[in-house]
Amino acid sequence: MLAIQGMMVQRGQGARAHRIRLPELSLAPGQCLAITGPSGCGKSTLLETVGLLLAPSELEGFMLGNPQQDVAILWRTQQQSELATLRARDLGFVLQSGGLLPFLNVADNIALPRRLQGLPTKSERVTQAVNRLGLMPLMEKRPAMLSIGERQRVAFVRALAHEPKLLLADEPTAALDPHSAHGLFALFMDVVEELQLAALVVSHDWALVETFGVPRFDAVTVKGETVFEPRL
Amino acid sequence: MNLVFERLRLLVSLALQDLWHDRKVSMCIAAALVAVIAPLLLLFGLKYGVVSQLQSELLDDPRNVEIRMVSSGRYDAAWIESLRSRRDVGFAIGMTRSLNTQADLVADRRHFVDNTEVIPTAEGDPLLASLSLAKPLNGSAVVLSESAARRLNVDVNDRLSLFVSRRLDGRAERGRQSITVAGILPPDVFPRPAVFVALPLLIALEDFRDGYRIDSLGVSTGEVRGERETHFARARLYAADIDQVAGLEQWLNAQHIDTASRLAEIENVKAISHVLGLVFGVIASTALVGCLASMLGAFLANIDRKRKDLAVLRLLGFDRPAVAAYIVLQAGTLTLAAYAVGLGLYGLGSQVFNQALASSATTGSVVCRLTFMHGVIALLLALLVALMVAVIGVLRAFSIEPAESLREL
Repeated sequence: MLAIQGMMVQRGQGARAHRIRLPELSLAPGQCLAITGPSGCGKSTLLETVGLLLAPSELEGFMLGNPQQDVAILWRTQQQSELATLRARDLGFVLQSGGLLPFLNVADNIALPRRLQGLPTKSERVTQAVNRLGLMPLMEKRPAMLSIGERQRVAFVRALAHEPKLLLADEPTAALDPHSAHGLFALFMDVVEELQLAALVVSHDWALVETFGVPRFDAVTVKGETVFEPRL
Repeated sequence: MNLVFERLRLLVSLALQDLWHDRKVSMCIAAALVAVIAPLLLLFGLKYGVVSQLQSELLDDPRNVEIRMVSSGRYDAAWIESLRSRRDVGFAIGMTRSLNTQADLVADRRHFVDNTEVIPTAEGDPLLASLSLAKPLNGSAVVLSESAARRLNVDVNDRLSLFVSRRLDGRAERGRQSITVAGILPPDVFPRPAVFVALPLLIALEDFRDGYRIDSLGVSTGEVRGERETHFARARLYAADIDQVAGLEQWLNAQHIDTASRLAEIENVKAISHVLGLVFGVIASTALVGCLASMLGAFLANIDRKRKDLAVLRLLGFDRPAVAAYIVLQAGTLTLAAYAVGLGLYGLGSQVFNQALASSATTGSVVCRLTFMHGVIALLLALLVALMVAVIGVLRAFSIEPAESLREL
């Protein structure tokens, strides 16, 4: 589903350069992995790079999807259009603050990725996720009328609506109180397992990740670089 | 094809929903446009209404293209023909000496007009343009001015007599020609008593006065005219249009022919048109610059405000052309709405002007009006302004990367 080898991304230049390295990472369907580390260590930058939003400085291998696409070649050959197509089709993003469009109601927000991909608006997976996350009574509401937790749940369903191969979640529970964060994370894990999705979750909340026993990659500093390695 | 259509439909739907959701801001942007469009339409409507009214008054009255030759000369038929063939001449016909362009018209004992003006005419005479004569005047067919017809108590197809007098060898003689009324000229075209005749009849009257024998006038005395060439004292002359009057008059003056015309009135209308055009141009330019600046500011601020939403749209699959179309669509929609409101306000404003000033003798019945083409041009100009603003907005929006949606701005 996702296999990355030898990825390095650099932010800034010269003495102010911040290098972030990911030696190896692989994810199978139904598997969830957490990227943890203190604020500013480069978790979101790593997520942007895995999410095909930021060009890596070095990349040995990057296979994504089923059938597998060689992302490394796309980056090397600067096929921005192909990368954008792949990103929109095979990746689903859960943003920190939901990222819902304020002028669409919940139903239209959820349907948007499917419509953009030319897929039928309704799908078994969406219905299942909507029911599982208890969003049915909220479908006609605008984002402004929802609580933060409800918005995050809608953002989660929107992220998986177009049946992506990989879910990328950037601090999905950061804006929630601990109780709500626990509840949403539990739902998130359940749906990932039920729908056999691969998911990469960025979080600075180690305790929450540990509570659910999610395998994680931690940020460690090696020779001035931030390296994300599996924490055993 | 279906997928492209679906995406386009989605794009339009999202752009419109976004505008509607943000309707207060949308209304502010549209109102800025209305504030420019409506006054400009009214201003241009006034300018066009007043100028076109004055111009149509000029054009409707053929006397405005008339150039009167005030001094008599001696012009042969070839000169008149060469005059007629000029491109700046609308109508030209030779005229006899002033003394010989008068005759007495008699319908019966109680209805007659002495010393009526006898005016030569032919096909294409601008004074007779309002009459739909079955055929050009010839022989004894004549057109009477309304004033003459009223005093003679005659109507179209009535017959009457034309008398002309002379003294020959100490004896008074009176020639008579029976004539038929082919048409009656409205008083606004020619207010004085007059009879319009075919040129040969006028020449016959002059020849009669000059002592020649003219059988058609029922007089058998006088010298036989023979094949003598006719010379004209001047010509009835009309320029092809009001723009040709000045040039034609200058040409005649260069040939030492004294003339009189309504050139001053024509120049006056042109000056009014020029001044109003200048006033409108300056005001419109200033307003357009202000409108551009205002729209640009509002639009760019709006794009910055929606930066996160646009980044999310890009993250979900909106490519740059889609973002460009999204912004152009919104600018176009706001402009169309503003134009519709502006046109409505123009309609109300023009009604007020036309109602309030309709009775004014100087402006006529309509003082503020636009043609369909003016409306279309105004719409296209408004859309052009919107497009210019949208293009700058698109350039700004192109800098929005999908990655921005992941970061809290």
